[in-house]
Amino acid sequence: MFKNEEMEINLGPQHPSTHGVLRVKLRLDGETVTHCRPMIGYLHRGVEKICENQSFFQGQVWTDRMDYCSAVANNLGWAEANEKLFGITVPRRAHYIRTLLNEFNRIASHLIWLGTHAMDIGALTVFLYAFREREDVLDINEAFCGSRLTTTAFRIGGLREDLPPGFEKMVHKFLAKFSDCLEEYENLLTENRIWKKRTVGVARLNAEDAIALGVTGPMLRAAGVAYDIRKAFPYAAYSEMDFEVPTRTEADTYARYQVRMAEMRQSARIIQQCMDGMPEGPVMAKLPKILRSEVNEVYHATESPKGEIGYYLVGEKGSLNPYRFHVRAPGFINLQSLPKMAEGGLIADVVAAIGSLDIVLGEIDR
Amino acid sequence: MPTPTLTQSIVITLIQCLLVVIFVFVVVPLTVFAERKVLGHLQQRLGSTRVASGHVGFSGWMNRRMWKMGRVPVLSYWRGIPGLVGDVLKLILKEDIMPAKADKFVFFLAPSISMVAAIIVFAAISFVPGTFFTLPAWFPFVGGLPVSGGIADINVGLLWILGVATVGVYGIVLAGWSSNSKYPLLGGLRSAAQMVSYEVPLALSLLAPVVLSASLNFGEMAARMATGMPAWALVPQVIGFLLYFTCGFAETNRLPFDMPEAENELVAGFHTEYSGMKFGLFYLAEYINMTVVSALASAFFLGGPWLLPFGLQGLLNPYLPGFLSWFGEPHAIFFVAKIIFLLFTYIWVRGTIPRYRYDQIMAVGWKYLIPVALVNLLLAAAIRCFAV
Repeated sequence: MFKNEEMEINLGPQHPSTHGVLRVKLRLDGETVTHCRPMIGYLHRGVEKICENQSFFQGQVWTDRMDYCSAVANNLGWAEANEKLFGITVPRRAHYIRTLLNEFNRIASHLIWLGTHAMDIGALTVFLYAFREREDVLDINEAFCGSRLTTTAFRIGGLREDLPPGFEKMVHKFLAKFSDCLEEYENLLTENRIWKKRTVGVARLNAEDAIALGVTGPMLRAAGVAYDIRKAFPYAAYSEMDFEVPTRTEADTYARYQVRMAEMRQSARIIQQCMDGMPEGPVMAKLPKILRSEVNEVYHATESPKGEIGYYLVGEKGSLNPYRFHVRAPGFINLQSLPKMAEGGLIADVVAAIGSLDIVLGEIDR
Repeated sequence: MPTPTLTQSIVITLIQCLLVVIFVFVVVPLTVFAERKVLGHLQQRLGSTRVASGHVGFSGWMNRRMWKMGRVPVLSYWRGIPGLVGDVLKLILKEDIMPAKADKFVFFLAPSISMVAAIIVFAAISFVPGTFFTLPAWFPFVGGLPVSGGIADINVGLLWILGVATVGVYGIVLAGWSSNSKYPLLGGLRSAAQMVSYEVPLALSLLAPVVLSASLNFGEMAARMATGMPAWALVPQVIGFLLYFTCGFAETNRLPFDMPEAENELVAGFHTEYSGMKFGLFYLAEYINMTVVSALASAFFLGGPWLLPFGLQGLLNPYLPGFLSWFGEPHAIFFVAKIIFLLFTYIWVRGTIPRYRYDQIMAVGWKYLIPVALVNLLLAAAIRCFAV
């Protein structure tokens, strides 16, 4: 009697909750999603190819612009991949400062995630509270390297400069208030009935599927797999740090929320340990003026706030720039799991799923 | 007191209409303004006094100077009031875009329906029982005649309010349908389902005051609920108040029930394709509806124009000095103050909680609110039978 057909709808590329320029093609049966395909490429700049045409020192600037919410973590991966390629030993103090800034970056990135995810679900206040604290982290970035978002914080072989005067005070001021701030967010969300209704059991991705799809980071840990590269293959100064890898077994949006909130607490712990155990000494290794590579290839993976970010570099004999450069971007690979999470749910759950993925399109499209 | 002729009573009604329209168009922009301010404070947003010092122009210069003098700049952007004016100007001056494949007539009709339905509800709302004020004798044509506290003191006032408020749904549904676009369609469908579902518990929760006051006349209901019950009507009808206010959130499409326009899912829901003053009418209608819901809630559950709960007025009155004696009387100011408090609650809730999912809203409406509303109605009937 009635014509019954599915409606195809584009969620994005210009849409309030696609975190940039993600386009999700949805087929809807009423409000139920029957088919979901993420379409990417709207922010493609060819970062990898550009880096192949620039010297090893210059490439780092482009890693800032991949996942611009966690630029420091990207810098760290790039610097360490290059150090591995050239066999450079970094001074211990540089390792500590890198770890410190990397954890600050994790906090900043998770705060953005928290804010935007909560805003997608309608809790606008959390967004502004989270950005208030993120501002302090950006101030710390600015004090260290002069820029706030695209930091280019590190150099191959160490750091350009030591910590600025007054840095310690800033860090302690931040740490003193941060646990209260986290409690403030959790007061608004954790036991909120509506928040739980919107997230518990929504967009499940069990451990088996997550591993099969290559999902890493908090998404994987929320499925019960305690895989954290900081623990599994320690880099920088993580082997000397005492921290836990928070996991949950529910594998839903709420579990991912809990994992990330717990990770922020652990990050604050690591920062405290870095400040306490900061060794003295130089921050830069002795390096030649110009780096010329040998025939060599490296893959170096670090734990970025989003998951495993891996840098694959191939060197050429006597070359100034990498022969081949490839990034294993966590956002790109995590995004593959969206159809698995969203299909069969409602359109509002797609938004929750995208939020819990914590994607940055700069990194996915590169 | 002279009996007015027909022409005179028409003129007086026009004066009342004017007063109500003035009230609406004062309260609505102020609510919009208050929403920014209250949300700004709730969310600790940095306003123009903190960030405008980097701006060019007079305000920026003023800001920098005042910071230099060690003071918080008071005048910077005049505390955000120009933003309000700018918003209204923007709505009026912006290009009015009509989608190519829209149903032109319905597209045009929908915002008008929303707006008209929202505003003519006020016809039956009485702000104060009896005479509001008497026109001075020098007033031409209608001098010395009383102006009553409501436009139309009809004996089925509540029925009128509920009936007309329901018409507002058509505005939203038709807007969603006539835009000929996908997101508005989804928004319109959602709102049709949501608002129709929530009409039921809303009407049921308003039936309790009807039972208790044995009247459908707005003024009489308010008077009996305010003076005939202990502590206004809040004690016997606290469930009713919470129910009614919750459904009010759903009826006015505010968080946590802002499904029809759920920003992060449906872009802007039913008014995605609207721009300019057509969008402005939807926007105004939302805020007028909020005022209506607040007015009903404060009249039936919070004592309307009576300041003090039943009993206390009589106790307090002898001690009041003469010029404060109006404190014990019903007064439109108290009514408006209660409306404003409830409007603040709207904003407060918006700043605090997230949004429900569409199916969850329906579940809440049908599985919880309607049964509770029925129980509340039984409770009211029991009070009516045995207590009052």
